[in-house]
Amino acid sequence: MLVGADTAGVSAPRPTALRLPVWRTAVRRLAPWLLPVGLLAGWFLATDGFHLLPAHQLPSPRAVARTARDLLAGGELFRHVAASVQRVALGFLLGAGVAIVLGTWVGLSRFAERVLDPTLQAIRNVPSLAWVPFLLLWMGIDELPKVTLVAIGAFFPVYVNLVSGIRQTDRKLVELGQVFGLSELGLVRHIVLPAALPSLLTGLRIGLGQSWLFLVAAELIASTRGLGFLLIDGQNSARADIMLVGILLLAVLGKASDGALRLLERRLLAWTDGFGGVA
Amino acid sequence: MSRRRLLLLAALALVSLGTTARAAEAGPTEVRLDWATYNPSSLVLKRFGWLEEDLGKDGIKVTWLYSAGSNKANEAISSGSADLASTAGAAALLARTNGVPLKTVYVFSKPEWTALVVPKDSPLTSVAQLKGKKIAATRGTDPFFFLLRALKEAGLKQSDVEIVNLQHSDGRLALERGNVDAWAGLDPHMAAAELRSGARLLHRNIDFNTYGTLNAREDFLQKYPATVRRVLAQYSRAADWIRKHPDEAVALLAEAGKIDVDVARRQLLERTQFPDGYDFKPVSVALQTVVPILLSEKLVASDADPSKALSELFLERPSGTFLPVGSR
Repeated sequence: MLVGADTAGVSAPRPTALRLPVWRTAVRRLAPWLLPVGLLAGWFLATDGFHLLPAHQLPSPRAVARTARDLLAGGELFRHVAASVQRVALGFLLGAGVAIVLGTWVGLSRFAERVLDPTLQAIRNVPSLAWVPFLLLWMGIDELPKVTLVAIGAFFPVYVNLVSGIRQTDRKLVELGQVFGLSELGLVRHIVLPAALPSLLTGLRIGLGQSWLFLVAAELIASTRGLGFLLIDGQNSARADIMLVGILLLAVLGKASDGALRLLERRLLAWTDGFGGVA
Repeated sequence: MSRRRLLLLAALALVSLGTTARAAEAGPTEVRLDWATYNPSSLVLKRFGWLEEDLGKDGIKVTWLYSAGSNKANEAISSGSADLASTAGAAALLARTNGVPLKTVYVFSKPEWTALVVPKDSPLTSVAQLKGKKIAATRGTDPFFFLLRALKEAGLKQSDVEIVNLQHSDGRLALERGNVDAWAGLDPHMAAAELRSGARLLHRNIDFNTYGTLNAREDFLQKYPATVRRVLAQYSRAADWIRKHPDEAVALLAEAGKIDVDVARRQLLERTQFPDGYDFKPVSVALQTVVPILLSEKLVASDADPSKALSELFLERPSGTFLPVGSR
């Protein structure tokens, strides 16, 4: 089995993995594609192949591709993607930015924790959809409630992870810094924040994922464009093909934005020496 | 009873004779159908339990689902969670064109249930002035089609305005809060907006309303034609009851729809007629004018054929020639 072959060298430490035989490199390259290609094949067989499901419930890959092409040609697809990406980008920057400020403060100060944390934890447990009617009531139906909802989605993972990252900083390192006469600001800059960086980056990645989640919640109600709108339009006009285009695009965009953050993570954390998993 | 209705009943009887004797049709264990505030007969049936009474004789259970709009009713049919559901004629045509296997089996009303609505103090006086404005509508429903056709009549396209997708009741709220400039309304929400907040009908056109139709899932219709016929018989009875007891019907609609009595009165007595439920011809004629909109506004897949879907939509051909139940 391919996967078995790939994980056979469990005991090999990471560096030796660089000198794998050609076929194993090929397997490693192809491994991420096995599942998507398999799913696509299964989808094709269930629709065009054996017609297990009626087209109005599960359209074929070809029908979905054609719909995507039609939407692309009409310029609508770009309009929807641009609207959603803009909302996620704005909301994420806003939410993560506020979370970094508040998270740093709460992480460093017990007083701030006592003042802010209980309330924030309570707000954190409000489900995304519960915000929607209130935001609509308060902010109308334009961009503001949507961006705000995305920001709420991005805020909490970043905040929670950053606080816990700061609090888990090795006390000995902090004491070492104090012995070397670092000022408070210097301690934060050279010891606490670097130590919290892995947690922060994890928080950012989860926060970005949540941003997409909350985006769709916002766009399902009261929208004129965006991927959530595409979903609801497909639903309202009995177009499962349009709904699938929306879902696939959400998957692709979510993955792409996560990939970008992972690159950043790898760069910023190049100095860490963590267990990277086995080859 | 019209000639066409007699014809249909006779034909249905023939069909059921052709398969099994009427009484011997192995009925379903359950009939799932919707009720909706835009379908007054459904409220009467639900209240009086006539369906439960009749179908219960053969042990058939009746399950009621709520439809917030044609879009939801179509979804229930498409997913197989309803056997019969009520929509506007245009919404049924849209669903059928997009491959949902449904057939219109009954016309439950000829309403003027949609129009373009503006707030009390709106400066707008014509459809042409909507250019660049924000308009709420539920996509895939009669008000949406009404809006598109009204715009087209005024020389505007969908892209000349900003259509915000909101479910009917939310559209009313958005209008009253000033979030949108206009709303393609639907009764009873539209009547409520007029009477409660002084909203004004900017543009009316009864011919752009595409009737209220009861649609059956094709496989259900094919398997249980006699059961469908029994449901329709009760629908006729409900329509008769409304015609004869308008005031009680108003009270019932008000209670079931949680609306004020004057709102229910306006919807039911001023804007809803109950025509011969088995006469599909006028519906078909009204839907002819929807076909070009489905194509030009790209509401259907590029290879879909609304004209063909329309020719297959009704249980009986509008010309009067009867098609066997469920045939294409």
